[in-house]
Parts: sequence; structure tokens; C-alpha cells
Amino acid sequence: MSRTRSASRTEPEAELIELRDVHQRFGAVAALRGAGLSLRVGEVHALLGENGAGKSTLLRVLAGLQAPDRGELSVRGRVVHLHTPRDAWDEGIGLVHQHFTLVPRLTVLENLALGVRGPSGGWRGGMRLPLEHVAQRAREVAAATGLAIRPNEVVERLSVGDRQRVEILKVLLREPRVVALDEPTAVLAPAEIERLLALLRQLAASGRTVLIVAHKLDEVLSVADRVTVLRAGRTVLEAERASVNARLLADAMLGQEAREAYDNAPVLGRGSVVGGNHRVQARPGHTECIACLERVEVWPAGEAAAAEDPGAEISLDVHRGEIVGVAGVEGNGQRELALVLSGRRAPVRGRAVLPPDPAFIPQDRSREALARDFDLAENFALALHRQGPWRHGPLLRWSALRTTSEKLLTRYRVLAEGTHALARTLSGGNQQRVVIARELEAGHDLLVAENPTRGLDLAASAFVHGELARLREGGGIGIVLLSTDLDEVLTLADRVFVMVRGRLLEVPAAERTRSGVGELMLSASAAADEGVEKEAWPGDA
Amino acid sequence: MSELLAPFFEASVRLGVPLALAALGETITERSGVINIGLEGSIIAGAFAGALGALAWGAPGGAIAGLMAGGVAAAVFAFFALGLGADQIITGTAVTIGGLGLTAAAYETRFGPTGTALSLPTLDPLPVPLLAELPLLGRALFAQPVTAYAAYLLAPVLWWYLQRTAWGLELRAVGEEPCAAEAAGVAVVRTRVFATLFGGAMGGLAGVHLSLAHTATFAEGMSAGRGFIALAVVVLGRWNPLGVVAAALLFGAASALQFSLQALGLNLPYQLFLALPYLLALLALAGWVGRTRAPAALGQPWPAGR
Repeated sequence: MSRTRSASRTEPEAELIELRDVHQRFGAVAALRGAGLSLRVGEVHALLGENGAGKSTLLRVLAGLQAPDRGELSVRGRVVHLHTPRDAWDEGIGLVHQHFTLVPRLTVLENLALGVRGPSGGWRGGMRLPLEHVAQRAREVAAATGLAIRPNEVVERLSVGDRQRVEILKVLLREPRVVALDEPTAVLAPAEIERLLALLRQLAASGRTVLIVAHKLDEVLSVADRVTVLRAGRTVLEAERASVNARLLADAMLGQEAREAYDNAPVLGRGSVVGGNHRVQARPGHTECIACLERVEVWPAGEAAAAEDPGAEISLDVHRGEIVGVAGVEGNGQRELALVLSGRRAPVRGRAVLPPDPAFIPQDRSREALARDFDLAENFALALHRQGPWRHGPLLRWSALRTTSEKLLTRYRVLAEGTHALARTLSGGNQQRVVIARELEAGHDLLVAENPTRGLDLAASAFVHGELARLREGGGIGIVLLSTDLDEVLTLADRVFVMVRGRLLEVPAAERTRSGVGELMLSASAAADEGVEKEAWPGDA
Repeated sequence: MSELLAPFFEASVRLGVPLALAALGETITERSGVINIGLEGSIIAGAFAGALGALAWGAPGGAIAGLMAGGVAAAVFAFFALGLGADQIITGTAVTIGGLGLTAAAYETRFGPTGTALSLPTLDPLPVPLLAELPLLGRALFAQPVTAYAAYLLAPVLWWYLQRTAWGLELRAVGEEPCAAEAAGVAVVRTRVFATLFGGAMGGLAGVHLSLAHTATFAEGMSAGRGFIALAVVVLGRWNPLGVVAAALLFGAASALQFSLQALGLNLPYQLFLALPYLLALLALAGWVGRTRAPAALGQPWPAGR
């Protein structure tokens, strides 16, 4: 990658932003225990770390959303105290949130105008909604950055990638000196990621400072000028891009021992995946079909997506002993497909033949799979209580349930203080282990897993992947893996599909690469994007 | 026909106005994400304070006292539900029960238990020249007390406020997605407190209409469930001030129907007609109005997870 570096970067330069010795405690959890970060003018700076390392907390401190227990923030050498987001803007710091902070039922333009007061403040500023003013500014910024958006569209009808562009534009409208982005690539298709990274370089070249939080090393290495690594709330590494490599960063993120343990974990690939999979042809065919969708429509009638894509149908057979992988950009119907396959929702149209009571690992485990204020034995009981060993007539056999729970906690290596621990007290990775343990213990024929490793750290992800692979080898169960993590799907699945606008497209074995699947993902939505530029901005004559 | 219809329309508006005032206030409250079912408490407080104020300072003074009393009742709700993060439904119920009880007790203390009807200075109808002479609807719409004109006027003003001002946008954002609003620099709690106080003051004004315009007296529990009907009116009006006024007039018409039907001499128990607005409320809440979507954060505490 060729890149122009300004001469000033090689000289020692005053730090634009400096965070020193930041401490932040939430109840019993110390999220930050001496984190530091320094940002220079015109650089792309990557902030790396495992889940729970404190990246998001540090960003919240920087954006004025969280006043730290201890620590110092200085802007151009001047110590400042940020108590509200407005304080942060006044210092020129803008945050693009991980979970977008757009109001779904407002239009793009209304979202951009939210919180913006016209040139006259106070009483008159509140009375007037400066839509034309904002539209004018947005058009200028959009033209300068190539961020194409549809100003009059209601946000809830936008794709995730479009929402992100609106979110970025919203931050840029405030003319920040520092643009901080929290895991911006997590929700994007490969081509969109490239577009985003190019935009970040462009912003840095125009003199702004970009701080990107990420967990994918290759992306970071391709875009960053400097890197800061957090581990367990502390800054453990701060370095120029040129002086680090992927292995060094992984060591810094995980600690060396943990990284080696991860390397030896049972699942093969991380990072880039090459096409071709030796299991491809072998599995289906001679095995029993356990779940079958015939011409199923998943979009609920009346929703915008249904109106835009009439007649989107899905037909799919799932066999024992295979993993069917479904990739796709979020919001293309995977959620709805998962709900249908897991028996939680009837298909809008078509026929779904499913085994009784399929196992389901939903994306949002802490809300959909676990009762947060139940203890672990009670959470296990939720799925197991209908079966013989654990009940006696109308009564539950609590002692048997406790025994089973203890056994499962041990087998799945859940870090918890016994079966009486409340589900909410567990970390995300351990909650996921509980869900997997429970869903598999009940002995189902079909497992539907929806983004099963989202939000998990590398070790926990490796564990989940190992379990899925082990189940497949067992041959008794069919697995549908729906994931926005393309690498995950390519690594694990026997057959790979891409979900695009409510349709399921099978990926031929030859095209089973990141770029091949990425093209397929975007091909169907490209048609929709063509209308983007044509829509008029308010104020256009 | 017109000698039958004109009084019917007039009664519809007269009965619809307190609903419209309370529901307009509650619309603003709910658009900010707060459901204040203590509205009934604001109405009865407004009716009582209106009566006291009217005795002391005349009808206009009573109106201002009622307005403020409704706001005070809502301030109690806001302190517990928004300041301390108490459950909105329970807090609202407490304010309603407390408001009904306190006004009844205060009424007895002040005026004795005999229940002799008070005779209060009233907010008299102010016929609008010319418009009031229109046939059929003229008197119904334009020979009403000042509270009715307040409702007519506020509906478009509040619509404009919600849709066309920066404040309105911020208020809607707070009711839909408080996280997003906060990130955009909007003070979520302050916005909600303001919207709640406004809603309470409007409830107080509805109470003033009851005691000073509708009846010229105060009676225990004279709000008679109008706060709850107003909640249904908000749903039927789809959280839109213009729709809300139309819905309030519809409910007023349902109430007025009982008089007209009795006048027709139908041989049905009158309680059946009394129940009509409540049946309408049930239908409205059951989604008869189609798929209406409440503000997404309605009733949710802020900060979340408290």
C-alpha cells in the first residue's frame, strides 16, 4: 500500500491528545487500571485489545460519556475535564459509536440535525430547526468524502453500512479534529471495509486524527500509522506500525502464554482463509435430511424489506453431520431465517419441516437465551425441565438439575462460582458456554447458531468453533451457522450460502474465498445503491 | 333534525375539550418516552385548585391556579419516576390515587362534609362573532369557554413544535432512542421532566375546564376517569396533536350520545350509554386504529438498567 507521509510525522511532534493513567471501576470490575493513549495530528491510530480489555471504556472517557475515577486528559498540552459529549465536541473529539446512535424512526437529515443548533443559540436556536443549514453542510461534507447518503430516507430502512455512513457523516459535520470509531468494521462486508479504511486514510490525510478500535489484526495493520494495545485495562504496547507485526500484536493482546494456547486450539484457520474445503462434496447426499425449508419467505408482510423484495424465497435442506454456513451483511434476513429455523417464528409463506424443539444459540444470548437474574441451574432447567431425568410429574428434580448443571459447568469449563451464580454475573464468553452446554445437553437433532462468537475473545471463539466441529464429526446433528463473520463461515461450513435481501444464494466451491463471497454479498445490493446519488437534497432547486 | 344535532355537537365539544387538553399534554409527555398515568391526579388537582383559586381571585385566577396544581402533581410523579427512577406505572397510579384522596380530604376540611354544592365564578362561553352564528356547528365550536379555544390553538402549535423545531426534534429523539439523544448532547432527563410538567399543567387545565366551565362546582372524584380516557385518546390520535384533538372530540361525541339517546326515549338502561366512551377506549387500545407505534422508549427508565 502506497501512502504519503507528511514530513512532520518523522519529527518529534507535540501530542494532540494525551490520556494518562486512566482508572475506571464499575462496581467490582476494574475496566481500566492505568490505561494511556496519545494521538498525533494527521495519523490513523489503532487501539487494540481483547474483549473486556477496556477499549470501549477508554473511548467513552475520550468522548465525554464517562468521567473516569482517576486519570488525566490533555488536549495540546492543556489538561481538560470532559463531563458531557458536548465538552468533548468543544475539544474537537467526535465518536462514531459501535452500536449506532441514530434514531431509527427519524430521517437521515433529522438525525444529522439532532443536537445541532442554528447560528443563533438559545431561545431562537431552539425554535428553529436548521434542516436547510444542516443539509447544505452535509452535502459539502458528503461531496468531499464520497459518503453517499439518502437524506430523506427513514433510518430504520437503511442497511447497516448505510447507517454507518450516516453516523460518520454526523460526526464529521461537527468538524472534529479527532474522529474515533468503535469497531467500525464489525458489521461490514469486505468491500465496504475497504471503502471505510480508504476513507479513514483520506480523513487523516486532510489533517484530522483518526482513532480506530478494532480486533482484526490484518485490517489494523493495513491502515494504521501507530498502534496502542490494551490488556486487562492497562496499556501494554504503544508502537509505530513499522515496528510491529501480527504476532507481536497478538502476544501483546493476549499475553504470550494465552496466545500459544490459542494457536494450539483444535480449529484451523484464523485470519485469511483459502478457498476449497476437503469436506465439501463428501457430506450431504447419503445422510438423512433433518430440516427442510420449501419456498419459505421470511420477511414479515408489511415491513419495508418485504415490499422492496417481493417474492424472496428460501429453499434449504439440512442434513445430519453437516454445517450449513450462511454468511451475509447484517439485516438481509438472517435474523428472520434463524427464527424460522429454530421454530420461534412461523414462515411468512412456504413450508418449514423441522425436528421437534431445535437447539438455538441466538445472537443476543444474555437477553434471548438466558434469564439474567436466574442462577445457572435455573437457566439449565429452562431447557431441560420437560425431560424425564429432571422432572417427576409436575415437580422438578432440583438435585438432579444441580448435579447436571455442575457436570456441565465443569465439562464446558465455565468460569462461575457454582450453580447458584446468577447468569448476569458471568462474562460474555462464559454466558455463551452456558448456552451451548444447555442447548447441546438437551439432545436435539438440529442446532441453529446465530453469530455464536460475536463479542467473544479469541480463546472463547476457538472453544465455540471447536465444539461446532466436534458436533459435526459426531454426525448425529445438523448445524446451521449464520454469521456475519465471513472467516468463521468459510472455515467451518461444509456448504456455504450467502443471504442477500431475503434470498439464499449458494456459493460454488470454486468461489469460496473472501473476495468471492464478498462479491456475491454486494452484487444484489448494488442495484439498490444506484439510486443513492439521484435523490435530491432539500434546498436543491 | 338540526334541533337535535346542534345540541349533540355542542355537548360533544364540551365533553371533548377536557379530554383534548389532557391528551395534548400527555402526547408531549409520551413523545419524550414517559407514560404518566398520574394524569388523572393532575386533572383532579387542577379542578380543585381551580375552584379554590376562583373563590379567591375569580375565574381567571382559578385557571392559573389549576394549571399550576396540575404541574405540581406531575412534579411529584417526575421526582419519583424520573429523578429516582421508580417504576412509571406504579408512580403514576400513586399520584392518581393520592390526588383523588387529597382533594377529597381537603374539600371536606375546607367546605365541610355536607356536600353542599359550591357555587363558583365560571369561565363563561365566549361566542366568536359571526362564526358562532354558523348553522349546526357554529355554536358547538365557537360558543365555548376559553379552554376550548386553548385546545384548538394548541393542537397545531404543538404539532409545529414537535415537527418543526429543534426542541421538538430533541424531544422526539429522547422518546425514541435516549442513547442517541444523549450522544447528540441532549439532556435526556431534563427534556423528560419538562415534557412531564407540561403534560401535568395541561391536565390541570382540563380540571379547570371541569370545575369552572363545565359545572361551576367541585365534587369529589369529578375527574371521573378522564385521565385514563385521555391515555386512550393519545393512542387513538397516534401520538399526533392534530389526531389527538380529533380523537378527543370523537370520545366527547361518544359521551354526548348518551344524552341524545336518552332524549330519543330509547328503552335501554342509561348505564349502557355511560359505558360507551370506555368501550371506545378498549377498542382504541386493542389496536382498532391499525398498527400504531408508540414511541420506542415509552415507559423505559433512564439511565437504562437502573
